[in-house]
Amino acid sequence: MLYRVIDAGELPALVSAFMETYEVVAPVKRGQSYAFEAVESFDEIELDYPTTIASPKKYFLPPKETLLEFDARENMVADFAAEITPRVIFGAHACDINALNRLDLVFKDGRYPDPYYVARREATLVVGVSCMPHETCFCHLWGSDEARFGYDLFLQDIGGKYLVSISSVEAANILEAACNPRVATDAERIEFRHATRRRQAAFNPDIPSIQEVAMLMDAFHKDPFWDELGGRCLSCTACSAVCPTCFCFDIQDALDPDGETGRRERVQDACTSPQFALVAGGHNFRPDGRGRVRHRMYHKLNGFLATHDHMLCVGCGRCVSACKANINPIEVLKFFERKGTEDAQ
Amino acid sequence: MEGRCIACEERPAPPRVVVVGLASCFGCQLQVTNAEAHLVDVLGQIDLRYWQLASSDPMPEDFDVAVIEGAVTTEESENLVRALREKASTVVAIGACATTAGIPGMAAAGFLSRPVEVYGEGGVPAACGEMVSPRPVSAVVDVDCEVRCCPIDTMDFVDALQGVLHGSNKAPRSSTMCGDCKRNETECFFAQGRLCLGLVTQAGCGARCVNLGRPCNGCRGLSPDANLESARQACGRYGVPVEGFDRALEMFNQTNPALEDGRASR
Repeated sequence: MLYRVIDAGELPALVSAFMETYEVVAPVKRGQSYAFEAVESFDEIELDYPTTIASPKKYFLPPKETLLEFDARENMVADFAAEITPRVIFGAHACDINALNRLDLVFKDGRYPDPYYVARREATLVVGVSCMPHETCFCHLWGSDEARFGYDLFLQDIGGKYLVSISSVEAANILEAACNPRVATDAERIEFRHATRRRQAAFNPDIPSIQEVAMLMDAFHKDPFWDELGGRCLSCTACSAVCPTCFCFDIQDALDPDGETGRRERVQDACTSPQFALVAGGHNFRPDGRGRVRHRMYHKLNGFLATHDHMLCVGCGRCVSACKANINPIEVLKFFERKGTEDAQ
Repeated sequence: MEGRCIACEERPAPPRVVVVGLASCFGCQLQVTNAEAHLVDVLGQIDLRYWQLASSDPMPEDFDVAVIEGAVTTEESENLVRALREKASTVVAIGACATTAGIPGMAAAGFLSRPVEVYGEGGVPAACGEMVSPRPVSAVVDVDCEVRCCPIDTMDFVDALQGVLHGSNKAPRSSTMCGDCKRNETECFFAQGRLCLGLVTQAGCGARCVNLGRPCNGCRGLSPDANLESARQACGRYGVPVEGFDRALEMFNQTNPALEDGRASR
């Protein structure tokens, strides 16, 4: 890894340089909230944003995408190539970069890479930016408050300047051409350490830090808590829509109005959708909110860890805001904290 | 009705379709004609035998698919719906009135005393028929396929019709709307303390009212998995008056038993 320092005033030139070859998507203000959107100029970008409604996942696993086109009259697959836009995600937080790394484990590095995901991932540069936690952030609990890889550039704000971690040649060349990157001074390195400590000290102290979460998930698998938590699920799937790591999908065929040709589409699905576990014969093996919410939390905080050595939650806190029924991992952590207190008595 | 394989050389005759309007504004039938760009394509896949809106030809004896718009509000329409069910292998209900009792359902409370209030004793015209309390088609007969919304989306109808004609691997969903708003990244009305019925309304329209800056008014009807109790608690948490929530639900769900149960339990 290479580290260089640029001035904050050089960022517009960097973004402009990216725009010559790429579509640049970045956080912009949307009412009282923020969202990643394609931008035309640096001025639209709100780099000091708390979080976005949904995550940059949408650029890799869109809510709906065409996998192939077919001719129903011939019962044949037509020639089809997915349109891939070369893109820069500018201003991703560390949690979202860690989330992308989780998705890579499933869609890129696994035994059966997903060609659509891989094509988008390879055509996308990721420029991360440091952030300060807001009240729903708990990335530090899962070690997702730092991005160690999975990006091209990472901009650490050190007060009017950025310490830039450079991890790809492509991005390094653009940075070199657009800005005047220089070697960090000792004072700048010290300021980087201070910034990191300020971030670490700023997390919401009301979110309990619990050890051995995966083990506790197994220990309390049958606890009435899951009735209480899942019983209030609204079955809206907002949690998985905003989650940067939820990746379940359904595949559906859509006929054109003439009934002769059509498309096979991949659409986002969610394990909190009532029909997610409905199988042939009409049996639904997770027929209620209790089963569905518990399953979702298990995959996030237990199951994925067993297979991939990482939590599938990165603590971005989006579901905390999105769920109208107040169902989120923080509630699970609070439950474990209550259990710990009860057991100590 | 079994889906037909488009690729099969031996094609059976195209399915015979009738379109019937009950108590409604006929707006959903009009929405079907709004498929202008694709209308010929769509009509080419069916044998349209009866459509009161487009032709005065009488209803034929035999048909395969019955498309029903509107709520059941008279004994006559109740009998008609039963007769359609008996003859058709597939019954499709379109629009809020046919799927939730919709607009006629808004008048469900005290419905039978209303004609006298309007026309006076002995003045109720014969055209009113033998009135029954408004109900969706599914309260009278089994419905194979529903196209929801007030009015229906033209292409939703085309999609549903093709599912009937050729089969479909799109499973019906009962999730509620908020997930779509999150995918659309629109701002939630609850965050502003404003009521929106998306959290109990069956998803599927892509949250189009919210996309246009208006809260969901629930025209797709309550999801069978709607969690009314939790939704009322959410209203409390976000400073949205619960009474307003219950009242708003009555616009499209007044005849829904879930709402009755909710009222009874509170």
